[in-house]
Amino acid sequence: MTERPDYKEIEHTADVGLELEAPDLKAAFELAAASMFDLMCDLDGVGDGVRRTVRIRARDADLENMMVRWLTELLYVFESERLLLSCFDVTKLESGLIEADVTGERYDPGRHALKTEIKAATYHDLAVDQTRGVWLVRVIFDS
Amino acid sequence: MGWGAFRAQFRRAVCLSTEGTPTRQAAYCEGIVSDRPHDIRQVSDCVWELPRTGGMHVPGRVYADERLMPHIRGEKSLDQVANVAHLGGIVRYSLAMPDIHWGYGFPIGGVAATDPSAGGVVSPGGVGYDINCGVRLIASGLTHEDIRDRVADLTKALFRAVPCGVGSSGAIGKLGKSELKDVMSEGASWAVKKGFGTDADLDHTEERGCLSAADPSHVGPRAIKRGLDQVGTLGSGNHFIELGVVDKIFDERAAKTFGLTENGVTLMIHSGSRGLGYQVCDDYLEVMQDAVRKYDIRLPDRQLSCAPVESPEGKRYLAAMACAANYAWANRQVMTALAQRAVASVLGGSEQSLGLRLVYDVCHNIAKLERHEVDGKMKTLCVHRKGATRAFPAGHDDVPGSYRAVGQPVLVPGDMGTHSYVCVGTDAAMTETFGSMCHGAGRVMSRTKARKAAAGRKLVDELSGMGVFVMATGKGTLAEEMPSAYKNVSDVVDVMDRAGIARKVVRLRPLGVIKG
Repeated sequence: MTERPDYKEIEHTADVGLELEAPDLKAAFELAAASMFDLMCDLDGVGDGVRRTVRIRARDADLENMMVRWLTELLYVFESERLLLSCFDVTKLESGLIEADVTGERYDPGRHALKTEIKAATYHDLAVDQTRGVWLVRVIFDS
Repeated sequence: MGWGAFRAQFRRAVCLSTEGTPTRQAAYCEGIVSDRPHDIRQVSDCVWELPRTGGMHVPGRVYADERLMPHIRGEKSLDQVANVAHLGGIVRYSLAMPDIHWGYGFPIGGVAATDPSAGGVVSPGGVGYDINCGVRLIASGLTHEDIRDRVADLTKALFRAVPCGVGSSGAIGKLGKSELKDVMSEGASWAVKKGFGTDADLDHTEERGCLSAADPSHVGPRAIKRGLDQVGTLGSGNHFIELGVVDKIFDERAAKTFGLTENGVTLMIHSGSRGLGYQVCDDYLEVMQDAVRKYDIRLPDRQLSCAPVESPEGKRYLAAMACAANYAWANRQVMTALAQRAVASVLGGSEQSLGLRLVYDVCHNIAKLERHEVDGKMKTLCVHRKGATRAFPAGHDDVPGSYRAVGQPVLVPGDMGTHSYVCVGTDAAMTETFGSMCHGAGRVMSRTKARKAAAGRKLVDELSGMGVFVMATGKGTLAEEMPSAYKNVSDVVDVMDRAGIARKVVRLRPLGVIKG
């Protein structure tokens, strides 16, 4: 991620949330991921030396469901591999399938300042909607 | 700066734009305003009722007073009380305790009991991601005078002894998968068997630290992977270990029964089931998405996705949730032993010679099958407590024998700058709230606002000026958790006391705090 993602932090009393606009659906997924990691850690100091391919298959999943699964998958990558992700390239996005190349850097407590722990992406108040050609994404996280 | 001035200063920063004067009521007006009008009516001194409308099966009931209501009215938590009332088989009311605030699915502070024999459902959203997040209190034979000059040393020793922060791990070495299954099946007793604590600790833990419904075969591989190296770790967010002192006694008999004396030193630990619990919730929310379609369940919020308690999906969730709950009890049990050893190493002597012993351990994110009286008949209900604590009265079979004459201790931590309370459950809790009460102060300010309000301030120094030595892994955590981000815990506990749901036993004051 070369630029800090442009998103609005939602004033949720207990947790954190984000709202963003994207020109297309692929960008909506990429920006949501980048914004989630930006909530967790300042992305400016995160490199892109480690690359992973992420694949999510979910039959019967709608867009909202796919968004939660996508963010959940990336949180799992962070938790299980201690990988802070900063760059997201969705290479395939179709009904029930997302494939993406993601890059980042192993978390180093000496260099990376974590801001907020995100436990999960929730379905509460979730939105992945298209209005007048713009995609709006809203996600509340358990933090 | 005194505590009052400190609190007022932060409140001024966040309240001027809405109220003009930094009064306590103004501070409670923070939050996102709901776009759904609610015709909430006061039905007694501390009880407000949300009438049944639309698809609600029962009315909502909120325990609060005039001081707390402006904030509650001002955010989306009442929407959530109404949403929970849509759950199938819900009994009597969708309840909210006075620490209610906007959560996801259930409000934080939400209590809902469903009747499995009438199609009642279980909802992972009514438990949350941090399954069996809970609190335990350790008493000691030490007085404040004994440690007055050692608070910083003790806090530093606790900080070294218990791994904390985001994704913290490695407290006791990585477990094998087979051993992790034992943790999930046995809970706190696994930890005791491994030398972390004693059998007496189990007597003073809700459910003796183990839900027997646990079946590790229903826990997925990702949850197991996440659980292997996190037993004995604190985590982040609002989790803490607090060195404190009993500074006021309200109920001499109950305090004596719990072994709490004026000026006595205490330790409080707040943590849960860590990544394993989050993953169990994630996994079963997906199962419940399918169940909602399968059983044609209509809900106003997808986060409330659920299945009948008696369905295969409901049973599997409860078996997996019990594994995560047991993991959390083992986690707190190990941390207790690590913390006690740290205290003993600083002061010299042993845990026994210092009189360190567990007063009680309560969970506040859980769904449990409990016996309750409904319309004159005893029934087994599935009681969801999402940010709410069990509060059973004197004489109840599930209260440990040593406490049965006075009732179950209820632990209510406040923010890190003020007080915490030990209360005791009452008969009214059984008849009104399915034996439940509040779990803390309840947030009043969003994490974003708290970070902005704390910008440029030296919170550690300010808390130190108030007599609280604080250590934290992340600066962000300290800002998000600063005292004025919370309601005044005394206001919250007073509502429970006035409503007759619980009685105050003692008040604790923090001396040293470690945060993730």
